[in-house]
Amino acid sequence: MNNWFKSGSPWIWMTAGSVSVALIAVLGLVALIAWRGLSFFWPADIYEFHFSDTERQTLIGEIYERERIPVTRLSDAGVDVSEIDDEFVVRYLVKIGNREFVPLDFTWVLEPDVVRLETPKDLVVLERARNGNFYGYLHDVLENGESVVTDQADIKVELRKRMQRALELRNEAEAISKGPIARINYQLDQLRLDRRRLELNNSYTDEAEAEIQAQEEALRNEYREVEQALFAVRAESERDGVVMIDMRGEQVRMSMNMVLNATWSNDINLLQKWGYFFSQIGKFLTEDPRESNTEGGVFPAIFGTVFMVLLMSVIVTPFGVIAAIYLHEYAGKNAITKLIRIAVINLAGVPSIVYGVFGLGFFVYMVGGTLDQIFYPESLPNPTFGTPGVLWSALTLAILTLPVVIVSTEEGLSRIPSAVREGSLALGATKAETIWRIILPMASPAIMTGLILAVARAAGEVAPLMLVGVVKSAPALPVDGNFPFLHLDRKFMHLGFHIYDVGFQSPNVEAARPLVYATSFLLITVIVGLNLTAIGVRNRLREKFRALEH
Amino acid sequence: MITVNTENKLDKIDVNALSEEQIALSIRDLDLYYGETQALDGITMDIPKGRVTAFIGPSGCGKSTLLRCINRMNDLVETCRVDGEILLHGDNIYDRSVDVAALRRKVGMVFQRPNPFPKSIYENVVYGLRLMGVNDRRTLDEVVERSLKGAALWNEVKDRLKESAFSLSGGQQQRLVIARAIAIEPEVLLLDEPTSALDPLSTLTIEELITELKSQFTVVIVTHNMQQAARVSDQTAFLYMGKLIEYTDTNSLFTTPSMKQTEDYITGRYG
Repeated sequence: MNNWFKSGSPWIWMTAGSVSVALIAVLGLVALIAWRGLSFFWPADIYEFHFSDTERQTLIGEIYERERIPVTRLSDAGVDVSEIDDEFVVRYLVKIGNREFVPLDFTWVLEPDVVRLETPKDLVVLERARNGNFYGYLHDVLENGESVVTDQADIKVELRKRMQRALELRNEAEAISKGPIARINYQLDQLRLDRRRLELNNSYTDEAEAEIQAQEEALRNEYREVEQALFAVRAESERDGVVMIDMRGEQVRMSMNMVLNATWSNDINLLQKWGYFFSQIGKFLTEDPRESNTEGGVFPAIFGTVFMVLLMSVIVTPFGVIAAIYLHEYAGKNAITKLIRIAVINLAGVPSIVYGVFGLGFFVYMVGGTLDQIFYPESLPNPTFGTPGVLWSALTLAILTLPVVIVSTEEGLSRIPSAVREGSLALGATKAETIWRIILPMASPAIMTGLILAVARAAGEVAPLMLVGVVKSAPALPVDGNFPFLHLDRKFMHLGFHIYDVGFQSPNVEAARPLVYATSFLLITVIVGLNLTAIGVRNRLREKFRALEH
Repeated sequence: MITVNTENKLDKIDVNALSEEQIALSIRDLDLYYGETQALDGITMDIPKGRVTAFIGPSGCGKSTLLRCINRMNDLVETCRVDGEILLHGDNIYDRSVDVAALRRKVGMVFQRPNPFPKSIYENVVYGLRLMGVNDRRTLDEVVERSLKGAALWNEVKDRLKESAFSLSGGQQQRLVIARAIAIEPEVLLLDEPTSALDPLSTLTIEELITELKSQFTVVIVTHNMQQAARVSDQTAFLYMGKLIEYTDTNSLFTTPSMKQTEDYITGRYG
């Protein structure tokens, strides 16, 4: 035994064990989130529940969860359990959808109450633009209120055809309202600001007024035309309708432009299921959220997260590198430098919410408020930069991650062999030239390491962002087609905040839960993706300077 | 006993009585301290133009320190303090008004271990020129060819100038570093044990190169290898404990040393 200890084996076992535990924890976490997140996109079977109590209405829906609970807990809750012999009972959480007809679109069902559980092949789930999913049987397809189904066998084809048409019209309407209408509104607003600017400069003459009015008139006319077109498209998209039979057995009529997708989940084969799965993921990644974030995609949040992190990288890298160069190359090696270095390292330990408060107080109110007074007096009292926005978020996170970049850059600088420095100096280079031409390129892998750590930290940070720029739903992306194309003053959406919002601020927690997992998995993927990109760049740089290592 | 190669030697001159135009550098009463420790003590010597001067002596005798004084590389050592003068064209290089970067362009240096930059062979050679703002492609090409030929490396690398300097062998790297130094046409070339990290064959190539170089440059070489000093230098200075013990033409120093310490050293009694 003693020998075994001396041999060092326990040490190896211990270290390897720690690594394994860490590895299992990480893999388990990712696997759980991935499984729960991705299974949300898989087409679930739709069940029809028939109850022993004939008075009780049939239910149609997806089974979200099965759980075994002790009967005593049910009786404590006031449920009649006289007919149940077992100690435990299985209950289902069923998503019944049809939000406009039921008070809650999720309900609990006790297994003993169910006499028959069926999966009829002609049950269909409609994905809708409003009110979530609809479960039921397809009854009829309408055009201008008249049935167009002559043969029941063709009903699916007819539905698909008209659904496709409605979808195209819907996209067209959206293109109009996001394109020309948004542009005209933006330009009108600019004209309003132009007028205000002229007033403030006391150069508001009659000619200027006339010109602005003429432009406004032109824009309004254009707006009316576009609006007419939009109304026409909308009216056209409402031509068709669909009649469904819901679980109460009643006919429900809805406009075709509400229907986004129809799936006969019980009647499709594995290949079609995979197709559905990938198309759902595609929609999740590319579409805007609907229904206060509980439905639809997360594209604005992905865009906001990546954009903010890139902006932060662009800000933090030069600052961090310059600070590190000063500390390592120029600052005297004395107590003050040491103090500064300790202070910088300790900055990394400050809770991130504190940075948020600082960002709000300093960047938003002080810097932003001053900028508004100097450059945007015409829009006051409405703030332009004096309000949370993507620029301030990026700056706040840049300060948060600055220590990481400084520390790893300094480490890189101290690893550069003095022989190379001397070689450059001996050729008549000044210190600054040596740093610029030799030292910095050689330190670039270390700088990238710092940036990787900074990105990893910044992409996952939510708390400070809530104070300096993240919102639940942003009307426009920070990048668009209106001059100057890059709107750093805008608020943005963020995946981290989206998770918090969907999971904890949503009116419908059960419906939101899978979205929380899916968004979490996506956030992890985005962070890993950003990191892998940075690591790839770093490895290329390392390869370039590889021979110096030996 | 050390044999002195006389074939490649220039005519013997009296280094302690040089005429004005024969002198490349004059060192006058040079004292150097690292903190409290005195590393050089009252060195006075003249280094003649267009010849190879070697500094020899046991480890820690101050020969490298003396060499690094000539292009003020010792400035990088924070605790270093220098008294006395080194005159280049009659001007003291330790004068306050001296531009150190300009001085180092006139006095080039090659170090003990090859230290190429992490750039291509071509970019290594033109580094000094780019610093001076020369970017004309034709000029740079010419200088690269001339310098690499001057460093006896052209034939080996002319087809792979764009490759990384690290793809070269140690000996080639050292010749590249020499090419880099002579590309900016310094007046004096300082070599700090240039072959100590190299194999015998590379050493031989470099030694032959040094003999070639003296037709264009004043060469000062520090070496701990007495045979090497005897082979390549025209005059040799022997330093011991920070003092210049003996400084005369190589042949005399190795065959008829006038000082006891020199004789002890070259006959291997210490060092």
